[in-house]
Amino acid sequence: MWPSRLHKKLYVTPQSTISPFKLIAQAAECGQADCTRSQSVLRIWKSLKLANIQRLSNMEVSYGAPPESVQKKFALPVDSEHKATEFRLFSVAAPHMRAFHLSWVSFFACFVSTFAAPPLLPIIRDDLDLTATDIGNAGIAAVSGAAFARVAMGTACDLFGPRLASSALTLITAPAVYCTAIANSPASFILVRFFTGFSLATFVSTQFWMSSLFSSKVVGTANGVAGGWGNLGGGATQLIMPLVFDLIHNIGATKFTAWRIAFFIPALFQTLSAYGIFFLGQDLPDGNYSQLHKSGDKHKDNFSQVFYHAITNYRGWILALTYGYCFGVELTIDNIIAQYFYDRFNVNLHTAGIIAASFGLANLFSRPAGGILSDIMAKRYGMRGRLWTLWIVQTLGGIFCIFLGKVGSLGVSIAVMIIFSVFVQAACGLTFGIVPFVSRRSLGIVSGMTGGGGNVGAVLTQVIFFRGSRYSTETGITLMGIMIICCSLVIMSIYFPQWGGMFCGPSSKVTTEEDYYMSEWNSAEKERGIHMASMKFSENSRSERGRRVESAPTPINGTPSTYV
Amino acid sequence: MAIQGFLVVSLLFSCLAATSYGVTFSSLQESLVVTASPKHGQVLRAGEDNIVVTWSFNKSLAAGTDSSYKTVKFKLCYAPVSQQDRAWRKTEDHLNKDKTCQHNIVTKPYSSSNNTFTWTAERDVPTATYFIRAYAYNSADHEVAYGQTTDAHKTTNLFNVQAISGRHVSLDIASICFSAFAVVSLFGFFFLEKRKAKKSQAK
Repeated sequence: MWPSRLHKKLYVTPQSTISPFKLIAQAAECGQADCTRSQSVLRIWKSLKLANIQRLSNMEVSYGAPPESVQKKFALPVDSEHKATEFRLFSVAAPHMRAFHLSWVSFFACFVSTFAAPPLLPIIRDDLDLTATDIGNAGIAAVSGAAFARVAMGTACDLFGPRLASSALTLITAPAVYCTAIANSPASFILVRFFTGFSLATFVSTQFWMSSLFSSKVVGTANGVAGGWGNLGGGATQLIMPLVFDLIHNIGATKFTAWRIAFFIPALFQTLSAYGIFFLGQDLPDGNYSQLHKSGDKHKDNFSQVFYHAITNYRGWILALTYGYCFGVELTIDNIIAQYFYDRFNVNLHTAGIIAASFGLANLFSRPAGGILSDIMAKRYGMRGRLWTLWIVQTLGGIFCIFLGKVGSLGVSIAVMIIFSVFVQAACGLTFGIVPFVSRRSLGIVSGMTGGGGNVGAVLTQVIFFRGSRYSTETGITLMGIMIICCSLVIMSIYFPQWGGMFCGPSSKVTTEEDYYMSEWNSAEKERGIHMASMKFSENSRSERGRRVESAPTPINGTPSTYV
Repeated sequence: MAIQGFLVVSLLFSCLAATSYGVTFSSLQESLVVTASPKHGQVLRAGEDNIVVTWSFNKSLAAGTDSSYKTVKFKLCYAPVSQQDRAWRKTEDHLNKDKTCQHNIVTKPYSSSNNTFTWTAERDVPTATYFIRAYAYNSADHEVAYGQTTDAHKTTNLFNVQAISGRHVSLDIASICFSAFAVVSLFGFFFLEKRKAKKSQAK
């Protein structure tokens, strides 16, 4: 019974992930508790030998890999899970690269809509008779919705798949953008910005989708580029909206009508991108969640266990705080910078938009560069390198933020702003170089928490420094820089027993990656064999030791202790 | 990195804002008498209602004071109540930084008496409380004198302008229709998805 059921799912391919001979050796060596998988492979091996399949002696065996005819249908090279092992930026091949392009474009559209109001605020504030407090509240409202929505989105992706979750969210927030055109008071303005801001939760579905379609070798690049190019929307909108407004105003509409019509552009863009994702996208290389759930090919994890392991891991909370002071700062600047240049340096709307745009446009390369830098430092110095680089880059971002508030001339201000933007966005990319290693089982929720933490940081910063008239905008910017430096200090408290932290090496007790990741599963779950993805991941994560990989201790028998 | 940082810092110190030469409001003499037709607290509709402005030189001052005046520029200025919690309308003494008067009405050549004109509040004037101020310029185009419809504390003769909302019925209808369409297509998505899943299960 047991061998024949597995036999159905077993394909024979020239490529493999684990040599059966290695597994047999392991099965012989290790003790009872950790060898379920190895034992089952041993049984399969025996049954296949019994069935007299001679060619197996030359080929190797792996789980779930398709026959050669099926594998040929992917345009990109794939691994045993059908995840792409290469990232080809200029391809739109289904399902991998097509999903990449659909997800970054829709995330970009959501950013454009969320930050469509700030560049037009000099017109909107006169039309709706807004005070500085109203504008501050609207800016806070725009980023506060997604703080919770990002965590919920992680769960939705797990249950319904990233394709349905992100297209549904994008479509349901589009009405808020359409209705911005009919806002007629400070209260209605704040409401529409609040509901539009929920769309920023598509960040989580983007990262989740990329992690489902790309193998660990390229997932960092895929995540970094998708995240960075989506964030680009916050910069592009500062260019697009004043241009669209100018166009409509020149055609003949009065200023107070032209800005309203201008909002239809981001709204339509958002609607179309949702359609694109629904009709052209695919959750997993093998199909969509709804089909895979019904056919029994996808196992559903226990939500309360996943949630528990996410919230009890202190590293997730620390990264949520520090992400609030790189991404949160980016969101804050997206909200205030156009008005800042317009009011302080007396440039016109168009020019203020271009300057503000250059902040967000740096995302084109700076966030992916952060991710790539994280990977380069990890190759040499492991996880400790990632942590040090994150702290240094984020602190430098804080220093340049302090300068930005102090500088009084236009040219120098622009230069400092651009340098500041590169550091702050690279810090975002560096943060998500660390997040995948915090938890394997609860990756979705930890990513959602970190992403949500970014929005909470934006809310906090705007409430304290950019609301009402207590601080002038330039003073607020300087104080924000000081806060970035202080909050980045907590990175020093992140400690992985198997790799170390900023100031301490790995634990003096011999601790391995398996110990850390297996502590998220109890023995009953291990008996059922559902922890195997984490096992595989912990093998791959040995690269986080840096140059010490050769001297890595192999897992020992005995119950691993739980690391919190 | 370090060199760039040093360059930035040195540029910073050399370019710290120095206030450029500019006229201050406190140096101007209030030598023009300006009156406007709206009464205190009257509400005017932008794009529809008119304002009649009468202005002349203040005869009680010495005769040659207005010899340098060449042109007079009239502006619509925000009253203190409309400047509250709105830093973009702040009053500053340096006139090139002052944001009190943001809407130009008209520019006229100077003449010492019997001047009136009528002006329709334009459609891009926001809803706020205003007064009217006139600046007299010399031939070098610097402000040399002023006059305003209100008193020194800006408490009397303030009038309101009610702006157009910018909304049109067609815009309202378009917004609602597109929003409804988005929500309906969302339900369509869920329905289609369920159908696809049932089909694959039946296979």
